[in-house]
Amino acid sequence: MIHTKKLTMPPDFSIRQIPSLYEEIQSLGREEPLEIDVGNIETFDSSGVAFLNYLKKNFSNLAILNLHGDLAKVLELFPPGTSSKEIPSPKPSFNSFLEGFSRRLTKFRDRFHFFFVLLADEIFHSFQYILKRRGVYPGEIMNQLFYMGYNSFPIVSVISLLVGITISITSAEQLRNFGADIYLADIVGFGMVRELVPLMTGIILAGKIGASITAEISSMKVLEEVDALKTMGLIPEKFLMVPRLIAITLAVPLLVAVANIIGIFGGILVAQFASGITPDMFLREMFTVVGLSDFFIGLFKTVVFGWIIVVSSGYKGFSVERGAVGVGIATTESVVLSISLIIVVDCAFALVLY
Amino acid sequence: MDGIIQASDLGVGYDGQPVLQGLNFTINRGEITVILGQSGCGKTTVLKSLIGLLPPLEGEIRFFGESVDYKSEFSLQSLYKRIGVLYQSSALLNSLTLYENVALPIRMQFPGMALEIEKEMVTARLSQVGLQYNGDKYPSELSGGMKKRAALARAMILDPDVIFCDEPSAGLDPITASGLDQLMIHLKELFGITFVVVTHELRSIEKIADKAMVLKEGKLHYFGPYDDLFNLDDRFISTFFLKDGKQ
Repeated sequence: MIHTKKLTMPPDFSIRQIPSLYEEIQSLGREEPLEIDVGNIETFDSSGVAFLNYLKKNFSNLAILNLHGDLAKVLELFPPGTSSKEIPSPKPSFNSFLEGFSRRLTKFRDRFHFFFVLLADEIFHSFQYILKRRGVYPGEIMNQLFYMGYNSFPIVSVISLLVGITISITSAEQLRNFGADIYLADIVGFGMVRELVPLMTGIILAGKIGASITAEISSMKVLEEVDALKTMGLIPEKFLMVPRLIAITLAVPLLVAVANIIGIFGGILVAQFASGITPDMFLREMFTVVGLSDFFIGLFKTVVFGWIIVVSSGYKGFSVERGAVGVGIATTESVVLSISLIIVVDCAFALVLY
Repeated sequence: MDGIIQASDLGVGYDGQPVLQGLNFTINRGEITVILGQSGCGKTTVLKSLIGLLPPLEGEIRFFGESVDYKSEFSLQSLYKRIGVLYQSSALLNSLTLYENVALPIRMQFPGMALEIEKEMVTARLSQVGLQYNGDKYPSELSGGMKKRAALARAMILDPDVIFCDEPSAGLDPITASGLDQLMIHLKELFGITFVVVTHELRSIEKIADKAMVLKEGKLHYFGPYDDLFNLDDRFISTFFLKDGKQ
């Protein structure tokens, strides 16, 4: 024998009552006929309407009794909806996989192309500016030079000092085991000048300057400032990027020179106190290994890293999409891209130069 | 009347997907043409296509009798020397003062300009928009209405033949918006500047429009004198205007 189960809804059919009613309904099961009496409802809200719609959609054994008044009208106005999750989607097939793969490949090709076009454009525009002195806002190169050079000086100095100290401490311990303490000067000098200072300066500038370039350019793009520059007859890529490219080319040699001195000073401090090597001995030994060419190689590497930072950041800034969210994503991606490219190019330098 | 912008079979859209097709219109010198339609109908898309920010998908646009090649940097540069654009967000450069923003086109296009002359030009434009005492302020220190007026001063600084305005009254109170409308009428009458304005502010349309371009469902629904709009027996147009009780 089939028993019809009955449930009467309370007068207050609102969000406070719905959780307990939901649990009660679930416990009644879906096999036997179920009658929901809504005749007592005095007040209801959208959660009550959603609850009844849910029941209609999911309980085939359900009958709603005594539906009248405002609740009936609202249910008529807002029938059970179809959520986007329930819209039948085509089953993933090999063809759709290939289509998706092809789309991504095309997008990657376009981005790759844009990156190199931007790089070539910037080199061209920089030379054009140097020759003709047009297309860049007056004084902007000095502003950028101040920001990239002077403002980066403290952080680059502190990091170089700490790296110099760290590399000395870790090397000194090992060298002492072989009675080769004096070679600490060679390791610190060569390592700092050729490798660590360029790499650390590049990474610091990628975080500090690269992020700021991307954030600035992408915000300008979102706020139509880049479009405004275009329709004023300017070339935004030149107007915004050339001062930065020239400024980083001028700022980096100064930063590297200072970072080398401070990093080596950190090594001298450790050598003095940990191994008893005097500064004079340290420098004399260091200069037997480290020559001027090493300094210039380090310098050249850092300048290349600087260009990578500016172009990568500009590339991410100019290709921003989706408003404010896009600005955040582009900024993060530009730092990741700059640091990754710096490490790849550094590896290439190591293969070529050693 | 002197046709300053002519579009023939123009198709505009994004990523190769057309939003509007088959647009044919001629905008005359010294007129204010208002582009209107429902949200998302492609008003700004048409404007961006006219100014080359979104190259047309098909058809031809002629400015001052010459066909514009939107793929040619040279052709665009020639166009940009004769037009000004007022953006919805004002698009003033935040790193520059108001004076520097207005002077920017002079400094970039004519780097040899004497500072005294530049000052006269910028001050005159700032006075015309009522901002002569705010030249040393940065955009972040200005109200929305002041930014719009400053952007208009920048758009006018090189005496363009046409000024394109994207939602100039958006986000402004009725009094400030009315002041901006009055300024456009004043500039049109005094300097013969042609305006192409995207807006759906009915009060503003009534005040400034000489011509109307109504867009609907991917097509040009109406293009002609604004006053003739109301002689048409057209449900869309009557709903667009009359439902608001303005006529």
